[in-house]
Amino acid sequence: MIQEVRVVNLPDFPDTVGEALLYDIRNTLGVQDITGVRTAKVYRLEGIGESEAGYIAQRLLAEEIFQRYSINRPVLEGGLVLEVAYKPGVMNPEAASIVKSVADLGIGGLLAVDSSREYIFYGPGADKDTVEVILKKLLVNETVEMVVKKRPQSLILEGKPGPTAIIPVRNMTEDQLMELSHDKLFLNIEEMLSIKNHFIELGRDPTDCEVETLAQTWSEHCGHKTFKADLIVNGQKKSPLLKRLQEATREASHPLVISAFEDNSGVMEFFDGWAICGKVETHNSPSAIEPYGGAMTGSGGVFRDIMGTGRGARVIVSADMFCFAPPWMEPGDVPPGCLHPKYLLRRVVSGVRDYGNRMGIPTNNGSVHFHDDFRAKPSVIVGAYGILPAEGCQKGTPLPGDLAVVIGGRTGRDGIHGATFSSGEMTHRTVDVNASAVQIGNAIEEKRTSDALLEASSQGLVRAVTDCGAGGFGSALGEMGSETGVLVWLEKAPLKYPGLSPWEIWLSESQERMVLALDPRHWSIFSEICQNYNVESVVLGTFTDDHSLRVTYDGETVCHLDMDFLHHGLPRRELEACWAPPESGKADPGPVEDWSDFYCRVMSHPDVCSKEPIIRMYDHGVQGSNALPPLGGMDGGAPNDAVVVAPLYGRNYGMIVSHGLNPVLNNINPYHGSLWAAAEAVSNAVAAGADPGDICLIDNFIWPYPDSESLGALDMAVDACVDFVRATGMPFISGKDSLSSTYRNSDDTLIKIPPVLCISAFGRIKDVSRTVSTDFKKSDSYIVLVGKRVASEMAGSVYCRLAGIQGDNLPRIDLETMALVFKAIHAAVRQGLLLACHDISEGGLSAALAEMCFGGDVGCGINIENTDTPVELLFNETAGNFVIEVGNPADLQDVFNGIPWRVLGKTTRSGKITVSRGSEVLFAVDTDLLREAWQRPMKEVFGC
Amino acid sequence: MLKPKVCILRTDGTNCDAETLHAFEKAGGQCRMVHVNQLRSGEERLSDYQIMALPGGFSYGDDVHSGKILAVELTSYLKESLQEFVDSGKPVIGICNGFQVLVRTGLLPGRKLGDIRCTLMHNHSGRFECRWVNLKVEDSPCIFTRGMSGKTISVQVAHGEGKFYADGDQLNTLETGGQVVFRYSARDGAPTMSYPQNPNGSINSIAGICDKTGLVMGLMPHPERFVAVHQHPDWRRGEMGEPHGLPVFINAVKYCIEM
Repeated sequence: MIQEVRVVNLPDFPDTVGEALLYDIRNTLGVQDITGVRTAKVYRLEGIGESEAGYIAQRLLAEEIFQRYSINRPVLEGGLVLEVAYKPGVMNPEAASIVKSVADLGIGGLLAVDSSREYIFYGPGADKDTVEVILKKLLVNETVEMVVKKRPQSLILEGKPGPTAIIPVRNMTEDQLMELSHDKLFLNIEEMLSIKNHFIELGRDPTDCEVETLAQTWSEHCGHKTFKADLIVNGQKKSPLLKRLQEATREASHPLVISAFEDNSGVMEFFDGWAICGKVETHNSPSAIEPYGGAMTGSGGVFRDIMGTGRGARVIVSADMFCFAPPWMEPGDVPPGCLHPKYLLRRVVSGVRDYGNRMGIPTNNGSVHFHDDFRAKPSVIVGAYGILPAEGCQKGTPLPGDLAVVIGGRTGRDGIHGATFSSGEMTHRTVDVNASAVQIGNAIEEKRTSDALLEASSQGLVRAVTDCGAGGFGSALGEMGSETGVLVWLEKAPLKYPGLSPWEIWLSESQERMVLALDPRHWSIFSEICQNYNVESVVLGTFTDDHSLRVTYDGETVCHLDMDFLHHGLPRRELEACWAPPESGKADPGPVEDWSDFYCRVMSHPDVCSKEPIIRMYDHGVQGSNALPPLGGMDGGAPNDAVVVAPLYGRNYGMIVSHGLNPVLNNINPYHGSLWAAAEAVSNAVAAGADPGDICLIDNFIWPYPDSESLGALDMAVDACVDFVRATGMPFISGKDSLSSTYRNSDDTLIKIPPVLCISAFGRIKDVSRTVSTDFKKSDSYIVLVGKRVASEMAGSVYCRLAGIQGDNLPRIDLETMALVFKAIHAAVRQGLLLACHDISEGGLSAALAEMCFGGDVGCGINIENTDTPVELLFNETAGNFVIEVGNPADLQDVFNGIPWRVLGKTTRSGKITVSRGSEVLFAVDTDLLREAWQRPMKEVFGC
Repeated sequence: MLKPKVCILRTDGTNCDAETLHAFEKAGGQCRMVHVNQLRSGEERLSDYQIMALPGGFSYGDDVHSGKILAVELTSYLKESLQEFVDSGKPVIGICNGFQVLVRTGLLPGRKLGDIRCTLMHNHSGRFECRWVNLKVEDSPCIFTRGMSGKTISVQVAHGEGKFYADGDQLNTLETGGQVVFRYSARDGAPTMSYPQNPNGSINSIAGICDKTGLVMGLMPHPERFVAVHQHPDWRRGEMGEPHGLPVFINAVKYCIEM
């Protein structure tokens, strides 16, 4: 018997969930004749009586001061009522808390719980058809949610595991092999054939579990086949992309690097026996079909990468970079099978918010970029940074006899085929076929797992640890045991519900699980620590010395693979690449007629406008570590270029994090666009006070499926990264590629999503009190432009995009000068000469000046020279250039010797940005007007 | 002089524990992280401590209501030791999620477990928000704000459920009893109902309250995030003076030493 408790706010109290929905009904759907929405929480409790349900409602579920409840009766009346719930099998994080609390209240017998929400719509427009649209567009994501049509009979999920199947690959034709691969394994014919041949040699057919394990390990997502392939570029042989990046890092031989491209994240030296680490991941495919769950599990995954670095690290920064189609895109322009960009943006932000905030990790660095061609698939990039003792940076190798232990969340049917799915092309069928690849994360599970892991790690109990990400146990244990061998007893894995077949347990990508290697002598104390933190821990297997991966389920062997074949049997690819520049001339910007209007349009361009509403939804201040927060200035809304945290309380050591990316420039020219991204990432850090000698880099390539053209572009992007390393000495120490940014429609037309190279920079700062914010500090100080640029290189700028001007003359960065400028800016920071500093990026000098004025609540007067073209001076976007505020420009003579710099003008008390040539005022525009334009777009999107 | 022992209570989803511990250490306390399981098992005893702090975070995911699951756990399993701790005149502070827990246990405002008199609801904006706000420190018996009354301090809020509410009678009791400790205010210290200075729509601009004795205090903003100058976003502009959150912790430690 299920008892239903419904809880609703009393009529005098606002219903914020209902109000937010009403706002969306009006503003997103444009439906005006629905006048009200109220909501109720529904709790279903199975196994207890009605009076017990009443007690639970009164003591736990309803707050008498502002709510009322009903038992087994409706609570919303007088309109159309609809209930939205998670689908059975999708983990509802609230359920476990209710079970715990009911037990705390001393009530036994509770078998299962679920919670959901009811909605009631009022007003003349609240008819069935309209509500159907609301459900479809705003309320229900059918991947994970459903409308509850009738009262469920039971909440208990039952099931029997299916038998382990034998896949007769030995007798399959090539067509049959590819049919097996299609939609599930995503392997090509050479790979399928080498599996077939391997089993012909063994004289048996593989199990489903074996085939799936190979597909996961050999997936693009896990195996990075393209990055490891031999390349033929325009007829010339070139070494693999990954090798080039790694070699550049090796050549740079940076003294602070502790581990590069080895561990779950890149590790560099910090101070006083500490190290810091960074990892950036993409989570595009899941976020495209279930943005909330996708963003959550993306965050959770990258946090676990940090947690699983060395012998365990503490996560101290979360960073998020997104690329979407503009939120105001016409719904008809969104391809079939894809979600609207506004919905995606809002739900992705909610997912990042709910995971990071609950984990207590400050999300304090990020950006959002917009381009029409992201309509088929967004780019969702999640980064995390951590701190760990330098002595705990190197993982131990498991010894034969060590225990293979899993801690954290239970295993369910979540995310099966996640790794192979994210390696595949997205099609109009993706949403239907791959629904099981997405789940809802449980941040609290991960938080307590992290708490337990850090304690065990600090006590020296951990030999090795890694996260359970794409490919699940199969990938984590297959990798951890690759040098020794591992024997796994699958039936020991704690399950969310019964009925999982062995291969499902083995490959499930259920979140919040970590896998460890432990000395058996440490088991009892380790499991006690876990218990104290309410974390489940189980011995899942043991490391062996037979160099094989053997998985059993109730005594039956379901997978027995040779480690060598698993990790080295993947045929190396040889790929052809060529890239031809698109036919286009020089972007030649004309003059601006109405300066005030155009300046406002630049400030409200989605790539320039304020992202404050997003930043405020993230707890960017938790851990109390910010020394340079994402927002500052007089009204608290001025964006800083980077974030600086001081993770060791009471000490002034800082870690800085920043990033750069520009899909528009990458489309014009992959080499120069990529250089721009790297220069922008580092400029952001240097502007805030980073020492260019203390910075490491992380690369993320988010590229269309690598046909020869895209691969040619990728090759150029990698060359740019390598050249950047050589010019600056800054090494890449971690990186990731996601090569599936392609959408194929039902009529076989392709949309290539713009290639994104996101470069993240992180480093150490000896003293956080020597860092700089972007806000002008006072009136009457001098404004100086520093850095080299060819002002006429305007292609790809916000100016050109607004004016509809195309061309190939994008900013080409002079790496040599740029490196000198970085050093000079840093020298000026160290000497305390800079009152404010902002790097130039999207929107050019105009956007930088405006943001600095907003932060200081001042205006400025800029004098341009006869030789300047005003449009170019104000809107050129060459990275590696800086606007600084100084008391006396004469102080700069020494530090800026040999690099380009010029005094532009002064800050003023006027509340205007005035640009003059000699005595002629070209224009003057109110900063209030600009600020309003700059703040409006995201306020509208987020309903602030 | 012996340092007062501070119990930093944590559980699943507590996440401002480290910075709260640091704030009390900096103020001169001797701190220990104590998991609620350790109190339940008897491994740790509340009576061994002089101060108890309930830090911010999302205890048990803030499922059902913020702080509710932990409040039920405390009132179910630790009722006697908690009531004894409070009755023996030892200071208790709840910050953000900790404030929500204190209100949902009944320790605030009436210092009586199970007697829930006021509430913290979803922000009026319907959104989680993180921003710096100004707080006017009221004249109250609160031991955490001794010497601060009349001042306006700058601190960060970061919450989605911080809208304080009590009905007319209860509100009247709080106001007349001097139990309102902090109010959201404009820069000049004038209490405000306007967004975003009052970030959540709290009635009477209330950001923090105490019990009648002033020993139990809860507030939504995070004083522990401003115990060093560089924690403020605008420290580069000067004019901040001493970190505004630190006196809250120093006062509690001093109180215990003087006792």
